[in-house]
Amino acid sequence: MAADAARPSVAALSWLILGEWRSQPMRVITAALAIAVGVALGFAVHLINASALDEFSRAISTVNGDADLQVQAVSNAGFDEALYPRLARAPGVATASPVIQLTGVVEGQSDGLTLIGLDIFRAAAVTPNLLGRPTAADGQAGFGDAGAVFDENAVFLSPALMAGRAPGQKISLSAGGRTTRLTIAGSLPGVAEGRRIAVMDIAAAQWRFGQIGRLQRIDLKLAEGADRDRTRAAVAALLPAEAELVTRESQTRRSDSLSRAYRVNLNMLALMALLTGGFLVFSAQSLSVARRRAQFALLRVLGSNRRALMSQVLIEGGVVGAVGAGLGLGLGLLLAGAALRLLGGDLGGGYFQGGQPALVFAPVAAGVFFVLGLGCALVGSLAPAGEAARAQPAVALKNAGDAVDPSARPRILPALILLLLGGACAFAPAIGGLPLLGYVSMALLLAGGVAAMPWLARALLSPLQARSIRSPAAELAVRRLWGAPSQAAVALCGIVASTSLMIAMAVMVSSFRGSVDDWLGQVLPDDLYLRYEGPSEAGGLDPAAQARLAAVPGVAAIHFTRAQPLRLNPDAPPVALVAQPVTRDDPGARLPMIGKPRPPPPGLTPVWVSEPAAWLNHLKVGEVIRLPLKGGTKVFVAGVWRDYARQNGALVLTSEDYTRLTGDALRAEASVDLEPGADLDQVSAGLKAALPPELADRTRFARPGQIRGIALGLFDRSFAITYVLELVAILVGLAGVAATVSAQTLARTKEFGMLRHIGVRKRQITAMLAMEGALLGAVGVAAGLTLGLIMSQVLIHVVNPQSFHWTMQTRLPWGLFAIVTAALIAASAGTALLSGRRALSVDAVRAVREDW
Amino acid sequence: MRRIFQALGAAALLLLTAAADTGRIAPDYAVVKPGVAIAFPADHGAHPAFRTEWWYVTGWLDSPEGPLGFQMTFFRTRPDVDQANPSAFAARQVLFAHAALSDPAVGRLLHDQRVAREGFGLAQASTTDGDIVLDDWSLRRGADNRWRGKAGGKDFALDLTFTPGQPPLLQGQGGYSRKGPQAGQASHYYSLPQMAVSGSVRRGGRTVKVSGQAWLDREWSSTLLDPRAVGWDWVGLNLTDGGALMAFQVRDAAGRPLWAGGSLRTAEGARTVFAPGDVAFTTRRSWRSPRTGAVYPVERGLAVQLPGGPRAFVLKPLFDDQELDSRAGGGPVYWEGAVSGDGARGYLELTGYFEKLTL
Amino acid sequence: MLALHGLTKSLPGGRVLFSGLNLTIAPGEFVAVMGESGVGKSTLLNVIAGLDTADSGEVLIAGTALSGLDDDGRTLLRRDRIGFVFQAFHVLPHLSLARNVALPLVLAHADPARALERATTLLDEVGLAGRGGDYPRQLSGGELQRVAIARALVHRPALILADEPTGNLDPETADRIMGLLTAQARQAGAAALIVTHSEKAAAAADRVLSLTHDGLVTHGR
Repeated sequence: MAADAARPSVAALSWLILGEWRSQPMRVITAALAIAVGVALGFAVHLINASALDEFSRAISTVNGDADLQVQAVSNAGFDEALYPRLARAPGVATASPVIQLTGVVEGQSDGLTLIGLDIFRAAAVTPNLLGRPTAADGQAGFGDAGAVFDENAVFLSPALMAGRAPGQKISLSAGGRTTRLTIAGSLPGVAEGRRIAVMDIAAAQWRFGQIGRLQRIDLKLAEGADRDRTRAAVAALLPAEAELVTRESQTRRSDSLSRAYRVNLNMLALMALLTGGFLVFSAQSLSVARRRAQFALLRVLGSNRRALMSQVLIEGGVVGAVGAGLGLGLGLLLAGAALRLLGGDLGGGYFQGGQPALVFAPVAAGVFFVLGLGCALVGSLAPAGEAARAQPAVALKNAGDAVDPSARPRILPALILLLLGGACAFAPAIGGLPLLGYVSMALLLAGGVAAMPWLARALLSPLQARSIRSPAAELAVRRLWGAPSQAAVALCGIVASTSLMIAMAVMVSSFRGSVDDWLGQVLPDDLYLRYEGPSEAGGLDPAAQARLAAVPGVAAIHFTRAQPLRLNPDAPPVALVAQPVTRDDPGARLPMIGKPRPPPPGLTPVWVSEPAAWLNHLKVGEVIRLPLKGGTKVFVAGVWRDYARQNGALVLTSEDYTRLTGDALRAEASVDLEPGADLDQVSAGLKAALPPELADRTRFARPGQIRGIALGLFDRSFAITYVLELVAILVGLAGVAATVSAQTLARTKEFGMLRHIGVRKRQITAMLAMEGALLGAVGVAAGLTLGLIMSQVLIHVVNPQSFHWTMQTRLPWGLFAIVTAALIAASAGTALLSGRRALSVDAVRAVREDW
Repeated sequence: MRRIFQALGAAALLLLTAAADTGRIAPDYAVVKPGVAIAFPADHGAHPAFRTEWWYVTGWLDSPEGPLGFQMTFFRTRPDVDQANPSAFAARQVLFAHAALSDPAVGRLLHDQRVAREGFGLAQASTTDGDIVLDDWSLRRGADNRWRGKAGGKDFALDLTFTPGQPPLLQGQGGYSRKGPQAGQASHYYSLPQMAVSGSVRRGGRTVKVSGQAWLDREWSSTLLDPRAVGWDWVGLNLTDGGALMAFQVRDAAGRPLWAGGSLRTAEGARTVFAPGDVAFTTRRSWRSPRTGAVYPVERGLAVQLPGGPRAFVLKPLFDDQELDSRAGGGPVYWEGAVSGDGARGYLELTGYFEKLTL
Repeated sequence: MLALHGLTKSLPGGRVLFSGLNLTIAPGEFVAVMGESGVGKSTLLNVIAGLDTADSGEVLIAGTALSGLDDDGRTLLRRDRIGFVFQAFHVLPHLSLARNVALPLVLAHADPARALERATTLLDEVGLAGRGGDYPRQLSGGELQRVAIARALVHRPALILADEPTGNLDPETADRIMGLLTAQARQAGAAALIVTHSEKAAAAADRVLSLTHDGLVTHGR
């Protein structure tokens, strides 16, 4: 009786497990695939994002060089250059390198670039990677660096910008509202591939791009042995409101927070897919255990102990999980590679700009996702394994086939508790800016919903069961499902999980899309819109150009807007400070206000904040806040408006207030009211002729309808990955239903044989099975839709506001509901029918006699 | 080194001429003319209208461990930038500073440098008196006529006070010094020889008191070397008898002198100005740099014609490896070191031995 | 080899199936127990096998008392000392005949190759020579029961328990199977207890007993 003797035999386990798989390969494959899909999605989303973040932080460190500390302007307007000598003399600072940093474009192109103005002497000590290598016209590196770097017409280009150009050629750059023709003086050997950076002398950059007296950045190198924290404190004490101290960490945090909510959403979706996989494993294993009750009983009689049976089921699940997870990692790698190529690092979300990121393999994440996949499969196998071990062999041996006791009433209490807990979690606040409890709520609702399935199946079928049905086939079908609700639940849990998740996502997306569509209608009231390709910061219309445009015949009124990033907080991405053609009296005329705007008290400038801005910066209507503009301007929060365009928030000022507070009289985009009867094309041509030539080339004219089309196109692109996930979820669910239904049907071969013996015709049995399948599908759809609708409300009212900080109104995608309902019912009825045919092909006598 | 910046300026000019668009306002460089009187203290200060200028201190120090050589140099250059640029960063004036310590125990030069465009109070050169600041380095003439120089970095630091023992020595014709065969190739040039040095030298973390003799060269100009010039040799010597000797030659590709000059002032103040034929440099021993492969005539014979007949010196280096490779900072490779012999101690500069300084 | 002392068992409802049963079976002895349906014949077998527990009394198998063993202990005892034959043959459909027969040995950590060798020998003996690679689906009921008998003997058990081994077979096959079972049990020197309601099957036994409400009595009295 040594413990060793009681240990399960490996050889016996492998005989039994392999034998089982040989006989039921489809079920094993479906379960493994489900796990693989979950792991693949999660891993791919993680890889894509890690690659994008890696790319992003490399981009940042290329532009920033290796400064120990960095002072940055909170907006493009920069700060007064007088800060430079003060920082240079700050204790602990060895060298301060002043920097002009602007977003620009090459004239005639729409891809943005970063234009940097450097003092070569200072940068040499602080950010040597940004130094240019002068190249004489004959291609030789020349002696005489001192000259080229001071040249106000010389520019050094990173390899990406140099492509197709050569030193000595001219290039026209636009930034800060000016366009200048420059001579390519050489390359930037220290700048990595793919970065679009142009470097010139700081004095030239200030002069050529209208930045006299201003700086956007000061890079600091610490003195040897200087205390970092003390130096930080000393530097911070010197900063005006328009500048802030940033570190590599805070920048990484900022770029991380940029896409964090989006990424967490995708990751959670992937985990949900994994969960579905877990349910499918559970369903497959439960059925398999139920089917093998007698086999397990025999093994108990032959001398397997409970532990051996439990091991067998767990190992089966574990191997399925491991194979699925391994497959999923490979799939995820492929998926991530393809997605990076096709959609970019933000999966079409529009968060990252610049080069296409290289795929970065993440071994730790791979391990985590493998363990998750394996864990899901093991957890899914746990309950069936316990059931297998608990069964009484003496009873099981006598009752071959599925042991169903119709008099047992399904329990609803555990499901109710789960559902209630889920409901409670939905009301919890965000944790660390993420709707974690919202997701917990969804998971609990899902678990509760699945747990309620047996009860629900019986409740839904009770009205049918209570009345007598004319058709024997229908009667049999209803009674079977009513009598064996737990079997139905097992068949359905995978499909209920995937359907409800899919419905929840679909309702959320359609609500979002509908709300965005409405919003577009509200924010596009004019007849014609002017917009630029490429970064809008690079160009601009000065007041003279604005007046020229207003004077174009056919223009009844023209409204100009301007936006520039403004950082309210060093760790958060910048909000947009927007000049809009709103009036103090009636901001609602041009902004989709939420609630009633409040008039500002006399002497205070009103600012209307977008919903995300209010949420992220804890702004309330009626509050007085200080903007980090020259001298720290006090403004009055006069109202909140709905905005889906800027996830990081926007603050709107009237055009006059904007110019007054920022000193920026340039305007970028414009919208036009036409005079009645004016010809749109003629007015467009007139406007184009009136534009500065460097802007005219990249100016596009669009009607509101076109803009709406573009915006919704962008929306759909950014949700493309979501649609893919939905499709995958439903396919996995359908595969699960097919596998489960066919297994259950085949398990009942004996029952069909008996029915044939007592005179039921084959056709009637087939009809019964089809009806059973359809009923099963209907119950699944009913449960999935209900659960999905509840979960969609969590997504819409909890998850979205907490991660994206905007609200929306629920819209139901009826068409999709119809398609899903039809597909599910058809799939389960169809598979039941098909496998029923197969089961019926076994001859009746033999079927009755057969063991199992 | 001093003339290197003339070369830099010239190179910049060439590049800029190629790149310049029409409509820019080029700097109007002042021209060196004979007969312009040197006036103090204003001429101790900067002359920003000229293309280039330097305050060049070299000398020998006696430390407890033995003799050391040092140089501490501040340059001003006026790059060819558009004078219309209103930016405070416009590089109208750029200040360079260079310091090196020759320690036989180290066997090579310790050196460091600073460079910045003038402005923001971080880098500036006064036009009224000797007063130059470049970050944490400075050279200032006090009311007591003593000069105080501070320079250094991680490896070493110099904090020295120079007390002139003699009146300024105006080179050439009253401070107008010809540098080449063409009349325009000239500079304004005076020297402060025989200055007593006191102060401290830090090497690594250790600071020692030092004393010694130094030589300050002041020169400003806008004009170029002769295009045929490949490099030059220059020497400034404090003689033990109180005399001060300066001699230079500009060499062509064959090593022949294109131009030469210099002067000797005795302790009593009698001054002899050398014509090109009065100065003869000879090579007694050469040293090959293991780093660059350049061969420098580090042990020199120098013969000058004096009214009382020729006088010859054999100048031996404090040690051989006083080569300075400043290519990393965009500068040339040259040799500049402490030399002594025959009652003289001073500094020898050898340029154009690694490669021709192309313009 | 098998000894029952005062064995008593009631159903959950309180109905007494049997009480105070005493029985001893010697090695090599073949005992048949008959009785009407529902009298508790199968339950008696289950109690002896340790699959069910008696309310009181003791089961001794090869001197070991079942009451002194936990579930694992009873499992090991079953694995090592008892061979089973059922009315429904309970041959695993996804294992070959040889593997089905070898399974008890492999469960007891025997070398799989040697276990298969012995299984092949036993299949020879029960008249299924050369069919070790076949799967159960290809076999008739009688053949399946031969496989079950081979499996019951493969690990040289001290006790063979058979529950209506011929219940699913036609009379002719049933005769042959009973002959095979008794012959094999005797040849192995195992004690055998067979539960049946078939007189014909019981006739092959050394001793035939009836399970009645009064206990085990010699059949026919």
